[in-house]
Amino acid sequence: MISVKNLNFSYTRTPFIKNVGFEVKTGEIFGFLGPSGAGKSTLQKILTGLLTGFKGSVLVNGEAIGQHNNSFYENIGVDFEFPSLYEKLTAYENLKFFASLYQKHRDINTLLSKVGLLNDANKKVSDFSKGMKSRLNFIKALLHDPQVLFLDEPTSGLDPSNARVMKDLILNEKAKGKTIILTTHNMYDATELCDRVAFIVDGNIKALDTPRNLIMKRGASKIAYTYSDSGREIKMEVPLNKTSEDETFLRLIRTNCLLSIHSGEPTLNDIFVELTGRQLQ
Amino acid sequence: MKVKSLFLGDVRFQFKYGFYFIYLFFSILYIGLLFALPRMWREKAAVIMIFTDPSAMGLYFMGSMVLFEKSERVLNSIAVSPVKPWEYVISKLFSIGLISSVVSLAIGIPAGIVINPFFFIFGVFLCSCLFSAVGLMIACKITTLNQFILATIPAEILINVPALIWLFWYKKSWLLVHPGVCIMTLCSGEGAPLPALLVLFFWAVLFTVLACGTVKKMLRSVGGVKL
Ligand SMILES: Nc1ncnc2c1ncn2[C@@H]1O[C@H](COP(=O)(O)OP(=O)(O)OP(=O)(O)O)[C@@H](O)[C@H]1O
Ligand SMILES: [Mg+2]
Repeated sequence: MISVKNLNFSYTRTPFIKNVGFEVKTGEIFGFLGPSGAGKSTLQKILTGLLTGFKGSVLVNGEAIGQHNNSFYENIGVDFEFPSLYEKLTAYENLKFFASLYQKHRDINTLLSKVGLLNDANKKVSDFSKGMKSRLNFIKALLHDPQVLFLDEPTSGLDPSNARVMKDLILNEKAKGKTIILTTHNMYDATELCDRVAFIVDGNIKALDTPRNLIMKRGASKIAYTYSDSGREIKMEVPLNKTSEDETFLRLIRTNCLLSIHSGEPTLNDIFVELTGRQLQ
Repeated sequence: MKVKSLFLGDVRFQFKYGFYFIYLFFSILYIGLLFALPRMWREKAAVIMIFTDPSAMGLYFMGSMVLFEKSERVLNSIAVSPVKPWEYVISKLFSIGLISSVVSLAIGIPAGIVINPFFFIFGVFLCSCLFSAVGLMIACKITTLNQFILATIPAEILINVPALIWLFWYKKSWLLVHPGVCIMTLCSGEGAPLPALLVLFFWAVLFTVLACGTVKKMLRSVGGVKL
């Protein structure tokens, strides 16, 4: 569905996006994960045809970006990282206007109610809170039922329950066979939603795999336990796949002498730090 | 019909952002002024008012529309929609052209200068489109209102000065190649209207085509790269 080869791009003279290449299959949620300024939004803008002057080949939904014509956008939905709405029009008027630019569109009120905005439909967007604007911006991208969705940090600035609603809507689109590019710096969202993630740092892809493989490839899961030895609390760790070899651990279990026990998987964040030497947030 | 959707969108935009209110305010002010003036000055004054106001307003309204769309990032959304550059341009020009024509009639009829309504309305409409197209081209290239106002000064001088010279002193027919002179001819009912209309049509189409090119470039580079 999306194919990027030898992509190079810069806003200035110094190279920024360097030799990026990846493929996204139909029906996949593909994540761009990386720290601020890594080039996630830049990549997304290239994929949606908003930046000219890149080198390399970019194919989206069978069309080469740069040679695409306007009907290409009938099947592309973009949720920008900032609201892109007429501030003085109401939520409903905004959606109605944008819907009218496409050949087909979904029912506006259904979409509004899905993100809990039906009661605010006739409020001006300038009176919306930040989270309300993000939700409206998000359904604006779904309005024409596009085959490919580009979502730039859709859940940022949302409270947990609204973020949940939005993530369910994203999964719902995937279930309908839509291809989704999801940009985020939230590793939990990436782990939960993405089939595959690309770690992006300084305009490069540093790693690309399923969240599970990325986590598994690195440090195995561990068990951490504590017990008391002549009044002193002792902390121990054992890899999950070596527990049967840990005599102390087995003895403690048999004698009910464990003080505490936790298993810990590395998170995508740990892996990110390990692979790139950079923090996500 | 995308042009129709865009046109309706632009009309709603102009209404909500208070453009119609400004038109109404100026129309009432101008009509009031016209009747305060001595009868012999009334016709010339009305021609100047129509030339500088309803038609030329396009220049400024276009600027503010595009600047609003830029600052609210709506242009990004339009750039990733199936809207074609010419559809964007035509709907904007027509929406402003329509209201300009209505306001010009409101000023022209009481002043008694609408001798031939066909030439009058088409003249104002084309003139408005020409100004709007110029305004659109400038607005595509700049980012702040101050830059816009500075950039419109040369455009204003180029369009206005020859027209005023023609109206007051120098009525030579070769000046008819100038679009401002054409609109003066059409509004005042002096001179031959048909050649004036054709010349004006030529200018309006030329600048509309140029504006389409500018808009195309702008939509392809809202991501932040200057072409
Ligand atoms: N329009 C622009 N002109 C020049 N430089 C830009 C432009 N937009 C972005 N940049 C630069 O490109 C780099 C990457 O920006 P980008 O917006 O792609 O980062 P990001 O990964 O999306 O970050 P964030 O997580 O903060 O959204 C930054 O150094 C930024 O300063
Ligand atoms: Mg970003």
